[in-house]
Amino acid sequence: MNRDRFHPDHPFLYADFFPTVWCAGCGIGTVVHSFIEALKASDITPRETGVVSGMGCSRKISECLKLPSFSVSDGRVVDFSVQYGLEHPTHQVVAFLNNADFLLTGAEDFLQLRNSGHRLTIIYINNFIFNTAGDDGFPMTPYRRKSFDGSADLPFNIPLLASSVGAEYIARWTPLRAGWIKNALMEAFQKKGTAVIEIISPCLVYDSESRRILDAAERMQFYDGRTVIQNFSPLNKLDLREGKKIVLGTFVDSAPGEDKR
Amino acid sequence: MTIRIEILKERCKGCGICIAVCQMEVLRLSGDTNEQGYAYPVVEKNESCLICGLCEMVCPDFAIWVRQEEEEAMP
Ligand code: SF4
Ligand code: SF4
Ligand code: SF4
Repeated sequence: MNRDRFHPDHPFLYADFFPTVWCAGCGIGTVVHSFIEALKASDITPRETGVVSGMGCSRKISECLKLPSFSVSDGRVVDFSVQYGLEHPTHQVVAFLNNADFLLTGAEDFLQLRNSGHRLTIIYINNFIFNTAGDDGFPMTPYRRKSFDGSADLPFNIPLLASSVGAEYIARWTPLRAGWIKNALMEAFQKKGTAVIEIISPCLVYDSESRRILDAAERMQFYDGRTVIQNFSPLNKLDLREGKKIVLGTFVDSAPGEDKR
Repeated sequence: MTIRIEILKERCKGCGICIAVCQMEVLRLSGDTNEQGYAYPVVEKNESCLICGLCEMVCPDFAIWVRQEEEEAMP
């Protein structure tokens, strides 16, 4: 009996990482799960990967995976991933970024990609928050919502930003659509250049502070009810703001496969 | 053919996402708690499971998985 009590993804994970450090129902865990499924479904050797993550909650991703994985300092994730990729050209480098790694301290690294065509898969876990100091605004803090108390400015349009640094593959999904994240990752692994996948995974801490939603499942459904799938919709229409549907889908694909939705 | 839904209750954090995504209402939250203090899902209607794998896919804590087994396959 006991012999069977191993999760199918057991070979990829350190058993003593469980229970995970993430809050109950945080989308980061689902993203890791989808990543492992995508890895299993594509023909990548687990040794020939590089998993890089930066600071904050997503840092723990590289600590739970039994893959060549690196936790690097705040904001150096893209830089490190590019250098690792240059040193190991056969490896599939996957960078897990959170808001700060991607848009705050890491923004200049990301902009340095500027059409360089490095082979790199970026998974940007957008939890709408930058919460260390409580009341500072952040590029992705929702309009008139809180990091704790209100951003006067509209959040960034990530797919547009990604396309401006020459990403070959851009997609956006929510954790409830884990199967699509897996598909997106498998397509991203085929690319010769940079792929950016944005995951809208709002932080539970933020949600409970604003007392809008009670638990993880409700929160997932709350956000999923506000999404609409529109593949290849114009990039300048993809910004996130209150009262507007969150557009999900594949937005840029340099070489679409046959099984396009 | 049997469907086995495995739940590692000591990993589970009781987020309930697996219960919410299941269209067949196979799972429900137990009244019991694990040693971390979280209520975990239990299988209620095993026979209506479609083996769609959604609950397995969305679980952030790798605590639930579904498999199909032949009746006589176990030695
Ligand atoms: S819910 Fe928020 S604080 Fe909790 S692990 Fe996820 S991102 Fe971090
Ligand atoms: S495999 Fe599908 S039908 Fe079966 S319990 Fe999981 S979500 Fe429900
Ligand atoms: S999704 Fe996973 S962690 Fe959440 S209640 Fe179900 S088994 Fe537990």
